[in-house]
Amino acid sequence: MPRNQLPMSRRNLLRTMGTGLGMVGLSPLLANSRPSPLAPKQPHFPAKAKHVIHLFLNGGPSQVDSFDYKPELAKYHGKPYPGGNLKTERKTGTLMQSPFEFKKFGESGVEMSEIFPKLGERVDDICVINSMYTDLPFHEPSLLMLNCGQRIPGTPAMGSWVTYGLGTENQNLPGYVVLCPGIPVIGPQLWSSAFLPGAYQGTYIKNDKRKPEDLVPYVRNPRLKEPEQRRQFSLLEKLNRLHLDREGSPPELESSIHAMEVAYRMQLEALDAFDVSKETEATRERYGEGDFALGCLLARRLVERGVRVVQVYYGNSQPWDTHQDVLRMRELAGDSDAPMAALLEDLKVSGLLDETIVIIGGEFGRTPTVEVSGRIAVQNGRDHNSHGFSTLLAGGGFKGGMRYGASDEFGFKAVEKRVHPHDLQATVLHQLGFDHTKLTYRHSGRDFRLTDIAGDVVKDIIA
Amino acid sequence: MNLHRKLTFRRLAGHLFAGPAGHLFGGLFGHVLAGLLVLVCLSHSGWAQAPDSGEFFEMRVRPVLAANCFTCHTGSKMGGLQVNSRESLLKGGGRGAAVVPGDPGGSLLIQAVSHSHDELKMPPQGKLKPREIEDLAAWIKAGAAWPDARVSSGAAKSGAKPITAEQRNFWAFRPVRKPELPSVENEVWVRNPIDRFVLARLEAEGLKPAGPASKRTLIRRAYFDLVGLPPTPEQVDAFLGDTSSNAFLAVVEDLLASPHYGERWGRHWLDVARYSDDRLASTQMDPYPNSFRYRDWVIEAFNDDMPYDLFVKAQIAGDLIAGKTPGNRDAGSEEGRLAGGLGFYGLSSLLQGQDDRVDATVRGFLALTVGCARCHDHKFDPIPTEDYYALLGIFNSTELDEYPLAKAPVVEEYERQEEKVETEEEAFEQFLAIQSAQLVDVLSSQTSHYITAAWQVLGPLERDVERVARSESLDLETLERWVRYLGATPRHHPLFGEWDKLLAARDPTAKQVTGLAASMQELVIEVIAEKKELDEKNKVRLGEDKEARKLNEIELLSLERDRYFLWRDVASNQGFKMPAEFESGILYYGGRKIDRFLDGVWRDHVRTKRARLEALREMMPEKYPFFHVVSDVDEPENEHVYIRGNKDNLGDEVPRRFLSVLSDEEPKPFTQGSGRLELAEAIASPRNPLTARVMVNRIWLNHFGQALVRTPSNFGQMGERPSHPELLDYLAARFVELNWSIKALHREIMLSSTYALAATSIAKNEEADPDNRLLWRANRRRLDVESMRDSLLFVSGRLDASLGGEAANLVEDANLRRTVYGYVSRRRLDTMLGLFDFPNPTVTSPRRILTSTPLQGLFFLNSGLVMDAADALAKRLEDEAGVNSRARIQRAYRLLYGRDPSGDEMRLGREFVEAEPDSWPQYAQALLSSAEFLHVN
Repeated sequence: MPRNQLPMSRRNLLRTMGTGLGMVGLSPLLANSRPSPLAPKQPHFPAKAKHVIHLFLNGGPSQVDSFDYKPELAKYHGKPYPGGNLKTERKTGTLMQSPFEFKKFGESGVEMSEIFPKLGERVDDICVINSMYTDLPFHEPSLLMLNCGQRIPGTPAMGSWVTYGLGTENQNLPGYVVLCPGIPVIGPQLWSSAFLPGAYQGTYIKNDKRKPEDLVPYVRNPRLKEPEQRRQFSLLEKLNRLHLDREGSPPELESSIHAMEVAYRMQLEALDAFDVSKETEATRERYGEGDFALGCLLARRLVERGVRVVQVYYGNSQPWDTHQDVLRMRELAGDSDAPMAALLEDLKVSGLLDETIVIIGGEFGRTPTVEVSGRIAVQNGRDHNSHGFSTLLAGGGFKGGMRYGASDEFGFKAVEKRVHPHDLQATVLHQLGFDHTKLTYRHSGRDFRLTDIAGDVVKDIIA
Repeated sequence: MNLHRKLTFRRLAGHLFAGPAGHLFGGLFGHVLAGLLVLVCLSHSGWAQAPDSGEFFEMRVRPVLAANCFTCHTGSKMGGLQVNSRESLLKGGGRGAAVVPGDPGGSLLIQAVSHSHDELKMPPQGKLKPREIEDLAAWIKAGAAWPDARVSSGAAKSGAKPITAEQRNFWAFRPVRKPELPSVENEVWVRNPIDRFVLARLEAEGLKPAGPASKRTLIRRAYFDLVGLPPTPEQVDAFLGDTSSNAFLAVVEDLLASPHYGERWGRHWLDVARYSDDRLASTQMDPYPNSFRYRDWVIEAFNDDMPYDLFVKAQIAGDLIAGKTPGNRDAGSEEGRLAGGLGFYGLSSLLQGQDDRVDATVRGFLALTVGCARCHDHKFDPIPTEDYYALLGIFNSTELDEYPLAKAPVVEEYERQEEKVETEEEAFEQFLAIQSAQLVDVLSSQTSHYITAAWQVLGPLERDVERVARSESLDLETLERWVRYLGATPRHHPLFGEWDKLLAARDPTAKQVTGLAASMQELVIEVIAEKKELDEKNKVRLGEDKEARKLNEIELLSLERDRYFLWRDVASNQGFKMPAEFESGILYYGGRKIDRFLDGVWRDHVRTKRARLEALREMMPEKYPFFHVVSDVDEPENEHVYIRGNKDNLGDEVPRRFLSVLSDEEPKPFTQGSGRLELAEAIASPRNPLTARVMVNRIWLNHFGQALVRTPSNFGQMGERPSHPELLDYLAARFVELNWSIKALHREIMLSSTYALAATSIAKNEEADPDNRLLWRANRRRLDVESMRDSLLFVSGRLDASLGGEAANLVEDANLRRTVYGYVSRRRLDTMLGLFDFPNPTVTSPRRILTSTPLQGLFFLNSGLVMDAADALAKRLEDEAGVNSRARIQRAYRLLYGRDPSGDEMRLGREFVEAEPDSWPQYAQALLSSAEFLHVN
């Protein structure tokens, strides 16, 4: 596809020129037009980070088998949990040790499970929060809480708030992209702009295919060749301009015409951004096989091109929901470890990690006790746990090589320096330059914000 | 299933927010969520309240106690301590007083939460944040005031809090009074009273209205406004040719009489009702296939000009007013009664349940944000929290129902047959399951034989599997399955590790192989036997109760993990993917796969039975249509206040009744059933100050693109004030005078000079009123998604304008029907709808917020819908205007824009189509993608 081989400098040019110059020689007629809702905006104060990549291990990964090392768990295997009767979704029995070994990684020596060997190598860039907790041991409200700061549908996603606050750097690509090879539980409510304007809605891309034209809807014209479309678009431009003059250039017409111009250029940019065949063989090998690997690679390519927020869901429905068998974690880690590590490595090498917040985690954790409910056929898994879980942060001005907060000695509930999703959201917004209490939108007569009435910035993890 | 049937034969069902619980949300989750959910309520920063103030307590103390202490220290009184009133804190628990007012250090509460006490460290789930501890200490220091008496136990009172005269005097709660008509200077401009109100404001500000829109602009505006489609060239010509003073009235009357009027205006209402064709379930689509009947009912109600008060009542309590509905055609017939009894569908989000219904009802009809009162008295509006629970009691006393649209015998016959078929099918499936299980037993007893045979294939001999099966007299498929299973790793269990080693060694003795095969057979048989034994024991534990919810609580026995996966891989009916893809266990043959193992009478039996069941299924009539409706539960009950929205912390019981501020004095408890009819009547009353105002404001919004009150679903303190309060009241009063006729209101509005203004700008006005709040010009509007798609189809001659019926997916190319009939999913909204600002159907939407985004541009450049429309338009131009490109271009402009092309436009068009052959479709696509096509002035 020679027409996509646009040298980087040219692409940058296009991006920065915005309206004035395009592929068909658009005149600077629209220079005074109303800015697009996605035009870059300044945050409240100087920001440490500009982008967010959220790798969502949907279903609730087990912290005591991954990122929260609890040696006591093996000692007390088969004994009742002494911390009282914490509410979970289903019935659980005695403590169950992790089938996986934990190892110290990196210079910092932070422990991680053996099933994440490659991610472990990046641990010096990672802040492991071991004291996350949320409100309810159910997927739906917890997914909504982590994404939208509420337990019920109807409020905007974090990515929507961020693009609302910051706009985006590349006007030829969506500002907020959501990748999932299927649909996670709840689905589009998780990236809804809700009452914010639709421009801030996450653009959902089903990354179960490889070719860019199969990934991005309507990105390529199936009938017209490029010169034909160029001729057609040139006509449309002229006709629109005549209409605009006749109407006295009202701003609502200008922004509509502007959006069409951007769309024309976006065809080129999006085809390029979503084309992983442009990566070297070696790079693709480092990311590995599978949809999640593709998602991680696409996330990098999108952020490199100025996309503000990329969310990558691990899989359809909720693959990390391992009620029955904790050993399933090995498979899940098997095709997520390499791409997560490769993404962090690439961002580090290019320097983008400094300005990109990478969040890794799920909507809640799992019990250190074995699930024994009648819902399952075999008792070797763990139930939902809203009392404690772990989330990883990297880049974006966060400290690396540290564990923050702590769960109890068995990893059931967060006890030290507890971090609620609202706190996490407040902290992420802080790194992006926002006072989370002031990033508000007036809807139905009052101001709404991502963190509802809560949220404290977790200052100790900020470098 | 049974539950369904019981519901079906209830009395004529009514309707409001039918929002049935779906698979995952119905059970435990729904309950817990309903109990703990706290609605979004934003703080209003700058908390500088004194620690002895009520506000400090509500904002900084009660939430901390509620979140951390209430679960164990209210009803359940752990340690003897209750943390729900000042008295109980002073009294304390087993260790004595929890709070010593004025002395935080000496208060057990502070010692416990700051972990300074030797033993007592609270709360168990983790230490509070320092700020929270400081707040508690400050509160105790200041005397530990607990300003709320709601927790005291006592008999149910009316629960109403007195509403002050000042609160009642807020503009929205004042009675609607028809104002005097203002006088204006420019009398000539005034066509009807609406214009007086508008012009009086403009003149007061020293502004002049824009000139009138051209007739072309006006007819295009009216068409999009009332039917969502552009006028045809012929309709434009007719209007231009009609020079009588009633020309525009005739256009309006034609449009109001069109059945497409209801499609347009019904859709506006469906935004408010948050209509969808499915329900929001967790992991799967959950279609609601009879949903469309509500949509069609709304469309018909608009077409029939059903009086709005009846429209309201029908949607809240249609079951209770059935038979008295003059708006429907077949009143008296069974179907007719029902049509009048259909309701405000607004399938509630399953995540929200009844709370959502309260909120959507009050927002939709009354534009109040009553949801705020779920956790505390409304901070800005006179809505005490008791009012919320008074309404919740009504909705909690209402349940989902189905109302069959068929005569009773038809329904009974269907149910009878369905039961018969299901019983027979179930019995047959059980019969087959037994055969499958027995076959597993038979085949498992030959495990060692199969394994040694598999060795011949997989081992150094590398023999052909078919040959081996033949020579060993084994079942080929079963052997193939064993070969696939034994030939790959990893498996879900390590129990065949010895086998893998042997295979890797490649030089074992025959004895080693047979020895291992024998022990593997022993293991397989043992695991299958053990599983059977556990299943039997579990049956005893479960008893007869197979309800899934119960399963959560009962501890069932299971195989040890590795043995379970061996059992699953060998004997179960479940598929798996490791070490290779299997549809079921190796030895399991279910469904028709079992047939080839059956002989003689067995085989005959299975064949006959299958044929019979197929015939029975074919004879089954299609399920009769029905409406999703609601009806009262048998024993309606009052709700208690959930203190701070927490169901575990109940306050006083509140009788079911109407909102205090909308009642003249203390609201009287409702007495008829759930109280829905009384609620409906209280809303649909001419004396209700909000109902008419809210609806005329919504109507105004959709005519002008901007409402008089710009927060159409919030008329409270935090909503906006009306730009023209007197005009709003005039319209509301007229609306009631006109017997709540929406069409009559359309006429008054559309025949005003205000409606006929041009969209042109005036520099002076732009400066004084850039947002056009004073209505000095028309608002230029982008087409919403329905008008956009319908117009594309319409001008290209492809629109299927048939009315009503089941929803179909819009993206399917074959769907050429109007967008209002497209499938609206809460789970997965159609890509095109999502792209073009269709509101989230999970929540009630006060208005469309239309954006212009590049992704929409891509849709015009490259989508099949637009390109197909362009092809069809090109063809149409050829058909209607012949070979002459001038004539075709002219036809195109008249079809799309209702005007002739300018000289420049004609020249550009001709240059384009004449430069390259076959470029008419490309030309047509450019015209369809133009800004002019997508906007209406």
